[in-house]
Amino acid sequence: MSTPSPEPVSLAANDVHLSFGSNTVLRGVDLDVPAGTTAAVIGPSGSGKSTLLRTLNRLHEPDRGDILLDGRSVLKDDPDALRQRIGMVFQHFNLFPHRTVLDNVTLAPRKLKRLGGDEARELGLAQLDRVGLRHKADARPATLSGGQQQRVAIARALAMAPQLMFFDEATSALDPELVKGILALIAELKSDGLTLVVVTHEMGFARSTADTVAFMDRGQVVESGPPQKVFEAAETERLQRFLSQVL
Amino acid sequence: MSPTRLSRCGDGYFANMTRILKASVTALVVLMTFAMGWAPPAVADVDQCAPPGVQSASALPTNLAAAAKGPGEDKYTTASVAPLASVNRAALGLITPGVLTVGTLSDAPPSICIDSAGQFTGFDNELLRAIADKLGPQVNFVGTEFSGLLAQVAARRFDVGSSSITTTDARRRTVGFTNGYDFGYFSLVVPTGSPITGFDKLAAGQRIGVVQGTVQEAYLVDTLHLDPVKFPDYNTVYASLKTRQLDAWVAPSQQAQGTVQAGDPATIVENTFSLDNFVAYAVAKENNPLIDALNSGLDAVIADGTWARLYSDWVPRALPPGWRPGSKAALAPTLPDFAAIAAGNAPAAAPSGSAPKSTLAQLKDSFLDWDLYKQAIPDLFKTGLPNTLILTFCASIIGLVLGMLLAVAGISRARWLRWPARVYTDVFRGLPEVVVILIIGLGFGPVVGGLTNNNPYPLGIAALGLMAAAYVGEIFRSGIQSVEAGQLEASRALGFSYSESMRLVVIPQGVRRVLPALVNQFISLLKASSLVYFLGLIASQRELFQVGRDLNAQTGNLSPLVAAGLFYLMLTIPLTHLVNLIDDRLRRGRQVAEPDDPLDPASPARTQEMV
Repeated sequence: MSTPSPEPVSLAANDVHLSFGSNTVLRGVDLDVPAGTTAAVIGPSGSGKSTLLRTLNRLHEPDRGDILLDGRSVLKDDPDALRQRIGMVFQHFNLFPHRTVLDNVTLAPRKLKRLGGDEARELGLAQLDRVGLRHKADARPATLSGGQQQRVAIARALAMAPQLMFFDEATSALDPELVKGILALIAELKSDGLTLVVVTHEMGFARSTADTVAFMDRGQVVESGPPQKVFEAAETERLQRFLSQVL
Repeated sequence: MSPTRLSRCGDGYFANMTRILKASVTALVVLMTFAMGWAPPAVADVDQCAPPGVQSASALPTNLAAAAKGPGEDKYTTASVAPLASVNRAALGLITPGVLTVGTLSDAPPSICIDSAGQFTGFDNELLRAIADKLGPQVNFVGTEFSGLLAQVAARRFDVGSSSITTTDARRRTVGFTNGYDFGYFSLVVPTGSPITGFDKLAAGQRIGVVQGTVQEAYLVDTLHLDPVKFPDYNTVYASLKTRQLDAWVAPSQQAQGTVQAGDPATIVENTFSLDNFVAYAVAKENNPLIDALNSGLDAVIADGTWARLYSDWVPRALPPGWRPGSKAALAPTLPDFAAIAAGNAPAAAPSGSAPKSTLAQLKDSFLDWDLYKQAIPDLFKTGLPNTLILTFCASIIGLVLGMLLAVAGISRARWLRWPARVYTDVFRGLPEVVVILIIGLGFGPVVGGLTNNNPYPLGIAALGLMAAAYVGEIFRSGIQSVEAGQLEASRALGFSYSESMRLVVIPQGVRRVLPALVNQFISLLKASSLVYFLGLIASQRELFQVGRDLNAQTGNLSPLVAAGLFYLMLTIPLTHLVNLIDDRLRRGRQVAEPDDPLDPASPARTQEMV
């Protein structure tokens, strides 16, 4: 049921720094996500997880450090072109409320990839099929449930055929009974072979689905590794304290 | 959206609104049919803009004060004029070759006024037409405000100012004048029974009305050292006097005699001669060819008897001793013996039989004269309404486009965009509308005169549009800024640039949210469009207010203004309800009735402010 995806890419962050004025948010983040794998980023609120995602796709420009896709620095690329390669899903969905569900999905392909009306419609419906919402194509986002809205947001990101997908606490704003469905959808994308970076509070999901788990605290990746190691053999005192609070 | 859906989302509201709309429309229609179906028995006797005829002649006032040194002191009247045949008609220095553009007013019958056919006329204007006939150019009359008339003549917006202008030294610093064609007395008008019986009874603490910028104002301030109450036009002064909000009115005699009707609760108690000044046409100071040509023309119409005929017909009064029109070489006009005619009229003129009307009757006469409604409505409909709509519509377009640019610049991260937008908004929101209209109309008018052909209409639209832009810009800005940051973020994350994101995602949402505020802005723009009359409009360009005001000026009755007001209501009330409708829809959210999926366990989440 998936549309042909482009070859997934690897992502690496080297010593990424970012401050807003006097407020330092990222203090040298290192992250390595091999092509086709899933990295879960966990950590307490305010540790810089969401900011890291926005820096990796250059919604914020890093002050220092480098960001590499498939080993090549992307800091000199056109940031708009870079973001077309990276899909992003937000905690609060951020669907465009003045457009229909289908328009939400097809807007970027139509305007950025110059797809014709019929072609875009076909693509949009295929993406909605992929998330099980083809029948809502003509509805307004406001009439959908939270879970449905997040599925549309995922379809919207997928419509640009990204090589990489970011999920920023994609289930945090959902009612508990809707969380599972979205997590299952993310797991499905992983099995389709996409490279994923998932900022999440769902430790069960991180443990079961991620290939790598990175623990962030105060603007740094304090500890990272395979889920078993991070969750069962935490080395640092900070990670141990965090896990004792959330598990 | 299907009708069922529409009615579902606002059943009660629609019913309510429809009821109100129906009621207002019915009221208006009833009023109009009523007014139009009314027989027109006595329209003529309220028309002050018709020549009163020689039978209405008046003798020299007996109580003339301080006139002695008048004509003898005159150092401006030319000794002679060039013969008409020697005037170079191609070099009159006209703004538009072949057309004499004349700024005039409509509020001072019988000297200057607009008749029931919408034509500017009166003694001054008919005489000017006769003079122009001698010289060649066509005459194009444009209505304006007295306070701006001389400035507009000096700025070459008009070739000639024709408005019973008394030639004072102060005015000669701004404009040049032709030789005199008329002279002026001042009249002192007071409410019937007032203790003020003459100019010597005027004192500080009394409310004495004058029209702003007139010689009467100068006379009160400079000669009598009193502080007058200033009005924009003669009708407003007189209306205030009649309702006893004024203790006295110092008026040009022609106006006083034309305005004060038998049965009015006011009387003319004394006259005084207008010192050493005569009445002449104003021309730009440096345009000597035109002044000389008009002087030649004036002597010519005196010589062939036209001046005497028009004078006797429109403003028959005995000439003050030693004064006569035209250059010093002009022949003395042959006039009937006005004093004798006046003497013969004396018994009839005294309205002994007409008792003063009650206040209620006065109000009814002033506001509810059905004949005037009938007279006003066709003009309001054919001339006023289209002009008001054109002005408002064009200004709205300018306001929307420029306002959007201002809004986008105002939220830009670039300081060089933000600052100019800020300054523009502060300036145009901070200035009174009238000031903007005058600055744009009179300040920029001459600069772009070639483009606009000296037509003030586009300038009025520009001024209104520039003003609206400042407000609309702020409305758009608040709307755009109210759109959640996540919308811009989501759009940029898809790969859209900042400007694409604004255009496709943020601005459409922001604009929807401020539609009610925007419609309110259009309502105030609609009302502000009446201010373009400050710039001077020809008869066919008059908008609702000016049409009502002209008829009001012509008759001294307020009913035409009330009729104009009804037209404004007819436009603004539906708009107000449109605002409420939009507001209601926005608050409750659009309720799209999608067929609900029976298999979908989730209940639709409704977001409050989403459209």
